[in-house]
Amino acid sequence: MVSSLFINPFSEDAREIVRNYGSPDTIFEASSALLETVKRTRGQNLDDNSLLPGSIGELAIKRLEWYLRRQRRGFDHGDYAYLMNPDIEEYDVIAFYVLAQAAGAGFRGGSREVRLVVESTGALVEDRFRVLGSERDEIIEEVLIELGSEGTRWMELSELIGSGKLRLTDLILHRGRVVIDEDEFLVTFQDRITDRDPRSLYEALVGLELKETMISRIIMQRTEDYIARVAEMSSTVEPHPLILETAERIGETVNEVTPFRGGQVKTAGPGKLVPDAFPPCIRGTLDGVKSGNRNDAIVLLLTSFISYARLYPSVFRDRTPLKVSDLDPDLRVIREEILPIIYEAAERCEPPLFEDDPQEKLNITAKLGFGVHDEPEPEHEGESKWYTPMSCEKIKIHLPDLCRPDELCRRITNPLTYYNRKRWELHKGKSEQEGED
Amino acid sequence: MFEAATPLERKRYYREEWDVRKLPDFIARNIHMREFGFDHTGRGPSDRYRVFDDEKRLSRFMRARFPFAAYSSVAFYREPGKRRGWQRSELIFDVDAKDLPVRSCDCEGVCERCLDEARELVLMMVDTLRGDLGLGDVHVVYSGRGYHIRVLDPGVMELGSEVRAEILRYTAGARQPRRKFTHSGESYEMEHFSIPLGYHRVFIERARHVFLHMRGDERIENVTARTVRDVVRNRELLLEDRWGEFKRRIGPRVYQRLVAGVAGINMKMVDAKVTIDLKRILRLPTSLHSKVSMICMEVKNPETFDPLKSAVPKFVHERE
Ligand SMILES: [Zn+2]
Repeated sequence: MVSSLFINPFSEDAREIVRNYGSPDTIFEASSALLETVKRTRGQNLDDNSLLPGSIGELAIKRLEWYLRRQRRGFDHGDYAYLMNPDIEEYDVIAFYVLAQAAGAGFRGGSREVRLVVESTGALVEDRFRVLGSERDEIIEEVLIELGSEGTRWMELSELIGSGKLRLTDLILHRGRVVIDEDEFLVTFQDRITDRDPRSLYEALVGLELKETMISRIIMQRTEDYIARVAEMSSTVEPHPLILETAERIGETVNEVTPFRGGQVKTAGPGKLVPDAFPPCIRGTLDGVKSGNRNDAIVLLLTSFISYARLYPSVFRDRTPLKVSDLDPDLRVIREEILPIIYEAAERCEPPLFEDDPQEKLNITAKLGFGVHDEPEPEHEGESKWYTPMSCEKIKIHLPDLCRPDELCRRITNPLTYYNRKRWELHKGKSEQEGED
Repeated sequence: MFEAATPLERKRYYREEWDVRKLPDFIARNIHMREFGFDHTGRGPSDRYRVFDDEKRLSRFMRARFPFAAYSSVAFYREPGKRRGWQRSELIFDVDAKDLPVRSCDCEGVCERCLDEARELVLMMVDTLRGDLGLGDVHVVYSGRGYHIRVLDPGVMELGSEVRAEILRYTAGARQPRRKFTHSGESYEMEHFSIPLGYHRVFIERARHVFLHMRGDERIENVTARTVRDVVRNRELLLEDRWGEFKRRIGPRVYQRLVAGVAGINMKMVDAKVTIDLKRILRLPTSLHSKVSMICMEVKNPETFDPLKSAVPKFVHERE
């Protein structure tokens, strides 16, 4: 029988296991019981010993490595089959805490490493739901009770809502609470539901899918909060040396799998900008924008578009988060090509952006991932996120005046996708023309 | 009615009728954290970055300058005079009767009718903000040409633009309601009007409002003029909640396009730019909207509020 531990590291049971385990002194000691469980997993590749975690610490790193590798070509599920084996749950819970503590002790909040640890936690939860089979419903109910989501208010999910991971309109809301529990649903809405079976309506609206999304999002949020608490504590209490060692391993793993400059990232790599392939909204922004829309157009839309188009146009295909310096190590391209384009467009606005709002320069730096500073400096990288271009849907809302869709716009959902598609079309057109001669 | 005020009338209003003590408490209690902006000429609020430490100083300014229009920021700053040190912002919904994409009148600016339709929409939105989203500290302000909903619930004041945009979509009914569902591995479809709760209910109400107030000559994206006329012809069914029959009369396939179009219209019933802007300035309650000679004021009871009774300054009655 599977228990909720397999999904939720924040239950009382999970905490109990971690308490009983005690200090991290033994996390890198070989555990034959763990190794046995790993080896006994159906479908596990056994021909390469480096694939098999022999200790809690190694298992912690494997959780992250799995996440980084699974988005790659040639990923073999058999390399990590044990992560989907409920029998590892007790080791896995400890490994989770080791990983989270290491992330908190070793990296800044908002850094790529912390983000990847949080994302990997959510991805594991989602994938594990799929292997639960007949016990899925019960585990979901159990975890929801453990997480106390009966009382979840939508505001606690506001980060997920803001980042588009969860849509407010998909939640059943009543007086600020997210209605997830069946009885609460029936009591709350019975009077309104007249011509159909309330239970089947509940099943439809608050389906397993929504519950799973909620669970994985809440666990991600709690993981992030936990990491932040650890980070705060590590400023006063020296972290355990083995936790710091694990942090180093996290850094190595992230760098190894998402390497610098091109490398294993399939299509990444800086290239010259092709202005002819810019979508209408970008061309409009480059021409200069009148008041109202001005700040968002330059800071949010243009900054992210130009930087990604120049350095990493395939970000949505590769889905590997990189830093600017991964692609432009000495920030030369950023300083000499990208910023001048953005600043010039800002100058062309009416009134010129920086005359009116000089602090927007700081925001542009921040959107490139270098925190709130005048200009991008290597030592500030990671203080903020390198923003990917907003979607067409968002542009329509935030910058309606700039959205003048053409034929190609109808087939894409992001200006960067437009750029890639158009570049390819232009390229194709050119070679066809050349063929005619 | 709705004529511009002369400078003399403005002066009279601020010296004889206006009283700083009528400023709503939600503004008075943190007046020193807000940026104020003024329009002295009628060409826009160019006098900005103003700060008032207390109501007395604001009062002195208003009586001396009797501005064409007065605004204060929805944001609270540590240094409001520099627009620096942002701390939090009210959540705002701006429903301007003049800009409603669907309204039953065909007046040039605003009239009694479209003002009332704006009020109806605001009532529904307030209901959703309180009932579904559980928000408190929700205030309605008559702006002179429409309404502002101003939310000061601590739970939303620190939210960023993205979440605010999503709250707007929910509250305005600006997203096509979900139609496909799965249960026990089988997928099936349900129309929005067969789900009388949650966002679906919000959408039903907003769609009904739009259909009932259409004039018949509106343009809806991807919908023909004929369909718009069909809506007007059959909309009485909606008064009795006979949506199924309404859909049949419109035609089931056309109906889906109509629903998508209405979601788009709902988005335009509210000025989205205001909702997502954390640093906007908004017309100051108690101040005079000089273009239409109406008083911008907090509405204590939106159910019964009538701007033509409550928001007309004395000087208008004394005009020749
Ligand atoms: Zn009118």
